[in-house]
Amino acid sequence: MGKDECKTMLDALNKVTACYRHLVIALGSTSDSQNLREELKKTRTKAQELAVANRTKLTSLLKDKGISKDDRAEYERLWVLFTSSVELLEVDMKRSLEIGQDFPLKVPRRHLIQTGMTGSTTTVAARAMSVQNMKYEADANIDTVDLKELETEIAQVDQMMEEMELKVQVAPWTVEAKQEAGAELKSTVSVGNSSVGIISICEEEPKETVEGETGLMKVFAGVIFTAVLLIAGILGYLVINL
Amino acid sequence: MTINTLSQDGVQRQQMPCLTKMERMIISMQDPDMGIKLRNQRLLITVIPHAMTGVDIVEWLIKKFSISDEEALHVGQLFIKYGYIYPLKEPRNLILKADDSSYRFQTPYYWMSTRWPASELDYAIYLAKKNIRKQGELIEYEKECYNALHKRINHTWDFVVMQAREQLRASKQRRKADRIVLECQEQAYWLVNRPPPGTQDSIDHGPERRTMNTRVQLNAEFYKKEIEHNRISLARNRVKSSICLESYVKYCEQYQPHDPIMQGCLPSNPWITDDIMFWNMTSETVALPTKLRVERWSFCFMELLNDPMGRKEFLTYLEKEFSAENLCFWQACEDVRHGETAKIPEKVDEVYKQFLAPGASRWVNIDSKTMEKTLEGLKRPHRFVLDDAQMHIYFLMKKDSYPRYLKSELYKNLLARAIVPQETKKSVFPFMRRQRHSSPSPALATQTAEDDGKAKNSNSNSGTASRL
Repeated sequence: MGKDECKTMLDALNKVTACYRHLVIALGSTSDSQNLREELKKTRTKAQELAVANRTKLTSLLKDKGISKDDRAEYERLWVLFTSSVELLEVDMKRSLEIGQDFPLKVPRRHLIQTGMTGSTTTVAARAMSVQNMKYEADANIDTVDLKELETEIAQVDQMMEEMELKVQVAPWTVEAKQEAGAELKSTVSVGNSSVGIISICEEEPKETVEGETGLMKVFAGVIFTAVLLIAGILGYLVINL
Repeated sequence: MTINTLSQDGVQRQQMPCLTKMERMIISMQDPDMGIKLRNQRLLITVIPHAMTGVDIVEWLIKKFSISDEEALHVGQLFIKYGYIYPLKEPRNLILKADDSSYRFQTPYYWMSTRWPASELDYAIYLAKKNIRKQGELIEYEKECYNALHKRINHTWDFVVMQAREQLRASKQRRKADRIVLECQEQAYWLVNRPPPGTQDSIDHGPERRTMNTRVQLNAEFYKKEIEHNRISLARNRVKSSICLESYVKYCEQYQPHDPIMQGCLPSNPWITDDIMFWNMTSETVALPTKLRVERWSFCFMELLNDPMGRKEFLTYLEKEFSAENLCFWQACEDVRHGETAKIPEKVDEVYKQFLAPGASRWVNIDSKTMEKTLEGLKRPHRFVLDDAQMHIYFLMKKDSYPRYLKSELYKNLLARAIVPQETKKSVFPFMRRQRHSSPSPALATQTAEDDGKAKNSNSNSGTASRL
């Protein structure tokens, strides 16, 4: 079905956009590196491919005059989601160009901002590219070479958006969202419980005392203590009896 | 500090210059040798590097720029206010404390930018993420913002939810320390860009003008126009700053005695002492002008013409010289230029009859080329049709009559007779309270009577204007 295909493709584009944003946030900071630039490049290319694929699919569906009204409303909603995604992607690309130009990696007098993030972003990029492990094969001067390509790509995306606006006339105010406010709370389990538990602890930690953690530590210590006591008791008993 | 919006495609702005300066300072703070000393932040199990104390920041600023303690504290405070550094212990309290409270640098993506102002969509995504993380326990004002955004950008709300979920999943891929830093960073960014109610909004973006349909086609036409524009800007006439600064200094020196703020106002500043003698003495219809006023006429021709009394005096002089029609013509042209549009044709006609027609009663001497042009334009009269003729007469008067007027007996006599008002003596009676604020409105009749009484009392103590 056209709708399901569209939805999966949109989901994929959404995922890659989110990962791209995550990578751009790391630009210019201490987790910036040659690898990050390469990851940005690859994620960006993938995002553009997905965007083009989405666009062709959706434009062909919307151009079809013979679809029902409900279907049309649904496709218009998907179209609005698609345009928002591409807008976000475009802004992130422009920002990554700006920050990339301000923070070249090879110039020794240009220092990266020490933000406290020191880990690598390979896992995020791997998620974006839907691979297990990322392979890095770029040359050493990717940070400068990539920027020129980025400029052309931004121009392409701009042009694509213009064409989209001209060809497909979808009024955003006629589209109604399916989700009500607070819909994200009734989310799937994988995002719900496990991450909430860990991340809420992370929120508490920087601000006040870490109650959850100390509780866990206490229980752990208690368990070890009782185990040691038991072993000591058993050994003593054996020593006395032997 | 104004925001410059170059709207070629409606969205291109410039970064505010103060922000660029702040960014440069932040980058210089990162220097491994000369930068700020960084420590580790210890949170029970995790250790996050790159934290600094308030004292470190202030000391670095003092050392680098050789400034005082107070100034360093103020500059450091600006960094916190604009979000380049955020506090770790109390994130909502954006204050720099010169003690051992810890701070950290913000990543460049989240720097304050007038070029990329924080958008509603991003804020909605952030609130949705927070909603998920806190299981619906948002702060009051955040809940309100959330609901308002849900209504306003309802058409992309599905996207907001989808993107929020995906961003959370992406951040789960990082290790714990980085995740904590990411959250703190984002929170700090939104505390600066969407401050909670009651706190100061550090940057005022002004009203947004969404011009979505002004996207420019980057084709040959566009670039040709750009090249032309830049070529013209390069060829623009520029004055060397040494020259224009010299003339600026000269201007300031010349006008300083005339400035009531710099030099003080004789007899006294009416806004302070409620004594309106100053206005009475410098009004249009006074018998004898003040010396300063007459001196000012000698600065430039426009000063003389702008003062109604000066204009009258000049007219008397010109009548003696039999060239009064020049000034009358000039005045008539000014009337046409600044008067009612409906009356322009008849006024222009009047001017023609009186001044320009051959054999007119007050014929003005204009050169033939300008006369031809003006007569041509008179067939279709508009506001500025007499401009060329007026300009010609103006320069005639300026080069010829004006210098002679300044050397004339008339002017010199007036200058000699002009009065210098004496400063009002300050009241010696300690229990006579002088009102230090402006008079109340005339609507309060009872009060004005009181004030008049007080003003009269203060006047009686002041010295009278003396003649030289």
